[in-house]
Amino acid sequence: MGVIGYGLGVIGAALGIGLAAYGATTSMARQPEVQGRLFTVFILASAFVEALALIGFVVTLIA
Amino acid sequence: MRTHPLVREKGTVVNPLDKLPEEMDELVNSFSSTPVVGDLNVGVTQYSFWMCVAIIVLLAVIFTFKKKQAEDGVVPKGRFVNGVEFLVEYCRDDLCKALLGDTWRKHFPFIATMFFFILCNNIVGVIPGCKPGTGCIGTTAALALVSFVYFIVVGMKSKGVIGYIKSLAPAGVAFPMNALVWVIEVFSTFLRLVTLAVRLFCNLFAGHVVLGTFAILASLFFEPLLQGVSAAALGQAGASVFWVAILMVIYAVELLVAAIQAYVFTLLSAVYIQLAEADEH
Repeated sequence: MGVIGYGLGVIGAALGIGLAAYGATTSMARQPEVQGRLFTVFILASAFVEALALIGFVVTLIA
Repeated sequence: MRTHPLVREKGTVVNPLDKLPEEMDELVNSFSSTPVVGDLNVGVTQYSFWMCVAIIVLLAVIFTFKKKQAEDGVVPKGRFVNGVEFLVEYCRDDLCKALLGDTWRKHFPFIATMFFFILCNNIVGVIPGCKPGTGCIGTTAALALVSFVYFIVVGMKSKGVIGYIKSLAPAGVAFPMNALVWVIEVFSTFLRLVTLAVRLFCNLFAGHVVLGTFAILASLFFEPLLQGVSAAALGQAGASVFWVAILMVIYAVELLVAAIQAYVFTLLSAVYIQLAEADEH
């Protein structure tokens, strides 16, 4: 059961990380000179999104 | 439970995946705090032990850096000195100057301490056999509490106690809505404490559980070969090599996560300090 719950929880995080990557790639294509700064922001946003997925993972293991 | 086709023909070798659940339980149990010295009330758990190791490593790095820097003079030489200097400058320019503006000098010691402490703990934790000091909810909660108290005190110093409490709600909202927004803002401020602690803990914990799972899989699949050479055992040993390859990839990702999480924690602390200091919302 816990595994199913984790899968459900990851849907949102997957959407979020996909959107972040989409935004990053489109803006890099438009303005290649901001690549450096954009990469930092992208990593940061992914870290936020990833944290949500990881909370699901840890709760699955603990509970 | 799926059985390996090769195993069934032989009938002597058991499916390595059968043992996985109990090994997983053992792995997750090994992550709970167990005292090395004393008991759980007063004592040193394995996490605090490795945290002390990380602090000693950090102090050693700092003192070696100072000594080498003094020897070199103005121009730094060698990879070590340049590397440490790069990290400090990164912390100063990208974390402090970029976010805090004019008051960066006042907060730089706090932010740099947080960054290097968490980074050192994370890196020590990734070394096989070591545990991360930050992989335990107690440590991360304490770190988050320090950061929380720091930015609230900074806010109260720059605006006054009443001023800071008032400034949580944005100005220019009519009376009844004002109170509601204030309550929500206070709630979200306290939520920062929880998210700071849980984010760091979950990243480290989950990363180490995944690393451990692949290590267990590799050893479980290699075990049959040690008991006797057969076609099935050789096939499973081949799978074990595959697990080790995945383990290597995840290990690299974990090194990256160790640095990124230290960065994220410090960056968020800096953002909160900046929000507390800002005059207008």
